[in-house]
Amino acid sequence: MIAAVKRWHAVLCALPFFIPSGAHAADDVNGAAHDLARQTAVFAGPGQPVSVEYRNVSSLGPAELGQARGAFEAALKEAGLRVSDVAPVAELRLTLSENQSQYLLVEEARKGDERQVWMAAWKRAEPAAAALPGMALDRKLVWEQEEQILDVAFPAAGMLVLSPSKVALYTPRENGSWALGRAVPLAPGKPWPRDVRGRLRVTGASFQAFLPGVECGGAAEPSLSIECRAGDQPWVLESGSHATLLANFAATRNYFDGRVATGNGLRKTMAPFYSATSAAEQGRPLWLLAMLDGRTQIFDAWLETVGAIASWGSDIAGTEASCGGGSQVLATRPGNAGEPDAIQAFAIVNRAATPLTAPVEFAGPVTALWPMSATSALAVVRDPLTGRYAAYVITVVCGS
Amino acid sequence: MRLMSSPWFAVRNLALAALAATAAAATRPHYGGTLYVEIRQSFETPDPPTTGYGMPDLAQAFAITSWEAGRRAVYAAGENAPGGRPFLDTVEIEMARPLRDQSIDLELGKSDVVELGPGELRRQPAGRKVWASAPVRLVALVFAPRVEDARIREALALAVDRAAIHNVLLQRQGEVSAALLPQWLSGYAFLFPAAADAARARTLVAGLPAAVRAISLGVEDAAARPIAERIALNARDAGLAVSVVPQVAGADARLAEVRISSLDPALALAGMAVSLGLPEPPRAASPEALYAAERALLEGFRVIPLFHLPDAYGVNPRVKGRPGITPLGEWRFENLWVEGGRP
Repeated sequence: MIAAVKRWHAVLCALPFFIPSGAHAADDVNGAAHDLARQTAVFAGPGQPVSVEYRNVSSLGPAELGQARGAFEAALKEAGLRVSDVAPVAELRLTLSENQSQYLLVEEARKGDERQVWMAAWKRAEPAAAALPGMALDRKLVWEQEEQILDVAFPAAGMLVLSPSKVALYTPRENGSWALGRAVPLAPGKPWPRDVRGRLRVTGASFQAFLPGVECGGAAEPSLSIECRAGDQPWVLESGSHATLLANFAATRNYFDGRVATGNGLRKTMAPFYSATSAAEQGRPLWLLAMLDGRTQIFDAWLETVGAIASWGSDIAGTEASCGGGSQVLATRPGNAGEPDAIQAFAIVNRAATPLTAPVEFAGPVTALWPMSATSALAVVRDPLTGRYAAYVITVVCGS
Repeated sequence: MRLMSSPWFAVRNLALAALAATAAAATRPHYGGTLYVEIRQSFETPDPPTTGYGMPDLAQAFAITSWEAGRRAVYAAGENAPGGRPFLDTVEIEMARPLRDQSIDLELGKSDVVELGPGELRRQPAGRKVWASAPVRLVALVFAPRVEDARIREALALAVDRAAIHNVLLQRQGEVSAALLPQWLSGYAFLFPAAADAARARTLVAGLPAAVRAISLGVEDAAARPIAERIALNARDAGLAVSVVPQVAGADARLAEVRISSLDPALALAGMAVSLGLPEPPRAASPEALYAAERALLEGFRVIPLFHLPDAYGVNPRVKGRPGITPLGEWRFENLWVEGGRP
């Protein structure tokens, strides 16, 4: 191989180059191989034997190189050429390469003193989604977009998607996909905080959108409408089907400022926190708050500290599936915010977190995790390669 | 060392110690804190730099609040920055810090982000957080117009043993290259042969008078001098007499470094051509056309590409968030936060 490369380098130095103009944008490796084979046939002449050397300088594996080889040799044959190392009229070297946006097949062809370089490119495919692991937490992709997704909710009229720049209502098509019904832009008076967060709360046909320093009310029917104004209205954080916490969000930050009120009228100012949920331990209600220092503090019904959990990320949400002790906490994984993340369901036993399910792994960080129904939560994940955001419904599945 | 005893340095160390003592592990970004950065470059200008890479990149989200030319710069978070206020309160930059000292400061927890040269990169302990850009810095030999004999230029191109320099002096950082655009950006850099061929180089210059075979090679950056000296040794084997001089002005050739400034290969090639004093290539719409344009730029051996190197930074584990540099090496500190930073 090294000898071959050296030989080719010597040839490269010695021979004049002929580089045809024009782009060769193919659909895939087969198309690229056909493009190159057609030009090779013109260069070598019909029925002539050609030798071919292959190499791979891309991140693709031997299987893809084999596919390229098979496609190229089939295309050569189709174009009337013979692949043979015996007295070839032209010597070819095919390199599987890549750049930022494309895969390339680069062909260097030599016939006597003549030399040609051709390239055919095709678009790099987006990486496949991570495999779906785990049996007790089910995830379903519901929406994907370029702009950050803050929250997704499902009123009777369809699907509401809250983004930093707009609220959009999508209606279901017969084939199961979604069609944009209407989008209403959001125009905050000043830029959103970095790591902006937002929450949708649907009640019948109307909904509330909670955003930092902005409160919005709207309706999904008869057509999408929304009105927003600057305000400090507390966000409503539900857990499962009945526990509710009202919490004030810091208008210029990415956390709740600590002022909370529970459903039974208790008001208190806690330390700032990122997310909150309720959980039950042997029938006793607890509140869990993911604090800024990385710990999740456990509070009793009177919001007095009774414990702490150090092994969770900053986003937690509660569910009340009938299995798993009747109360589960879905929590992200501790680690760096840019890293692949996971969501796992836990029960609180003796003021400690006990795993109930295997973690559901994601390729990127979870940027939002909000309760959605008694048995499900909405998670938004940023793909670290494409930068796109995907919203998943995470459902606690019993008996699996 | 001068700065070690300065008041700001003492305060900085106390702050770092305090922050380390309250290390946290929240996964959501949190606000507050100072990022301490050290760089080798010294900007002796009355005002902070506004063009180039590194410090000028901060201006998008931070505002300069203190500028001590050649020594120290402090940037504060812009409350109305595009994309929202940065999580960090401030970024403090110490300039003119030798690479070795930077590495020690990182090791001692006195700094959050330091530059890593090839030597320092090798010495990083396992598990150390490192940010590296794509190989975006082209190291190349650039001939002055007065070196008219193309055989001399080609002979030097053939004489340089890039692989040996890459293995030993660069500690295999980056890539050997004979192309202007790196392989990751063009996809065809391998078409430009980079192997040394001293015998062919000797043949090219065999009949030339000694005076023509003498070349002065200017290198202003002391850190690059070992590379220049190795090139001089290679050149001697090919029958060329290369002398390394510390000034590029008046030298027959210089060891230059230019950066890729765009992720668009055609724009990047045009930018490099301008930086290297080459004619601007025609806009290329396909990989083949781009290859043709690049090949035309390198014909005549006025510029001899040698290596593509990445920017590399060692990072304190308390720094959180996505890498603070882009593939092009631009600083993006607005999305970083530090453990222990408080609102």
